[in-house]
Amino acid sequence: MRETYAAPLPGMNLAEMTGKLIVIEGTDGVGRLTQIRLLRPWLEQQGRAVLDTAIKRSELAGKGIQQAKEGHTLGRITLSLFYATDFADRLEHEIVPALRAGFVVLTDRYIYSLMARAIVRGADARWIRNAYGFALKPDAIFYLRIGVDDLIPRVVFSRGFDYWESGMDIHPSEDMYDSFRKYQTELLGEFERLAKEYNFEVIDATPDVRTVFEHLRAGVARVLSGEPREPLFSIPTAGGESLEAATKKVLEMPAPAKPAAPAAEEPAPAAQPLARAAEGDANT
Amino acid sequence: MKRYGEHRFPGKLFVVEGIDGSGKSTQLMLLHQWLQAEGYGVVFSEWNSSPLVRETTKRGKKRQTLTPSTFSLIHATDFADRMEHNILPLLKAGAVVLCDRYIYTAFGRDVVRGMDRQWVRELYSFAVKPTAAFYFRVPLDVAMKRILDGRSGVKHYEAGMDLGLSEDPEESFGIFQGRILDEYEKMVPEFDLTTVDATLAIEVQQSFMRLIVKAKLAQAKRLRVAP
Repeated sequence: MRETYAAPLPGMNLAEMTGKLIVIEGTDGVGRLTQIRLLRPWLEQQGRAVLDTAIKRSELAGKGIQQAKEGHTLGRITLSLFYATDFADRLEHEIVPALRAGFVVLTDRYIYSLMARAIVRGADARWIRNAYGFALKPDAIFYLRIGVDDLIPRVVFSRGFDYWESGMDIHPSEDMYDSFRKYQTELLGEFERLAKEYNFEVIDATPDVRTVFEHLRAGVARVLSGEPREPLFSIPTAGGESLEAATKKVLEMPAPAKPAAPAAEEPAPAAQPLARAAEGDANT
Repeated sequence: MKRYGEHRFPGKLFVVEGIDGSGKSTQLMLLHQWLQAEGYGVVFSEWNSSPLVRETTKRGKKRQTLTPSTFSLIHATDFADRMEHNILPLLKAGAVVLCDRYIYTAFGRDVVRGMDRQWVRELYSFAVKPTAAFYFRVPLDVAMKRILDGRSGVKHYEAGMDLGLSEDPEESFGIFQGRILDEYEKMVPEFDLTTVDATLAIEVQQSFMRLIVKAKLAQAKRLRVAP
């Protein structure tokens, strides 16, 4: 039986969600999307149906949030609640149906990023935890950890600094670089606190994409095999093949034809060549 | 983030609450006119009116994809936008703010839709506690008659059709409003709502309201603006 952090939503039957809910967390530009693009074909290759979802992709509120953010007139509480609306819509219309259908749900960020951002912007920690109290507890939360000094070059040499990712709404007097550094440092600090509280599995995101993927893939394989966290002897790999061989195969795979996903509005991102994939996650 | 009851502003906040057909909007309009004539800086704010989330709410209502959770959260978003951009700055500036429906509307509707009572109260804890909150108490049949006489029909969410209470919109509306009425009655002592007998003559209700508002404003003379 699945659990929620606090009272579940009305009418939500927590039994019979046979799928797995796997969260990939991490700050802006750390490479979450790149990793999900690698994980998905790897899982599908093993016959696992995958739904991938991310913040702001809801049918209901995705567009509204985008428009509101363009105006830069969004209050901090309003922004948090708008995101909570988006999350609830995706939870009920995408995530839960997929879990019932036995899918592996890969979610690019979950409530933790939303809580971290809100807290850094001055929201009451108790208030934001209550707001997301109806969220399902995931089967695993993989946190891609990076320090601000390693993060900055990635962002600079891919898409550049973004208004919101630099926290320009809370540090408006600074230039983008100073603002980004200050905001991301605060955000990473909040992530560390959440990592302890919610028992994140931390993955070092500073090495190259392939190395990060190997670690992540081992973690996901363990979750799917139902093994407990931190096994005594070795990390089991799905399908019996060696980790290196499986990783190599996935990294060299062509893009999959059309992945099946319930209610997938946008086409699922295909596996990109690494150089392109490393451009980052422009979906926040 | 300040919480309910912790705010101290020079402005004053008066809100009206009650089920559809209780006559609360009429009373607020009359109060508005009077306060303006008295020379106060008065601003009116209506439930579910933020331009920021209008399109999103419209989309959800039109497609009927709103669930109790998204219905609740989208209205909280709307309220937060009005609170942060409208109500708070006005209260800081010393205005008299009048709200047609406030957080108690959400508490009633969302709880009837099955949301957790404490969850909804905590969700709205950023709201300012009103100077006075008037609750227009009316028997269900009186309110129903007022509503159904004056309109061609009730809308899907307004009638609580999403709850599957009845196939018939009017019947569903009645059951839904009845449950909200029960919630309001529980809130009267919880939030110290000022109860107005909404079956009395309109002008009798209005003079009662003015009496209370006047007493609250007497403690804040600097609100008065030059005409």
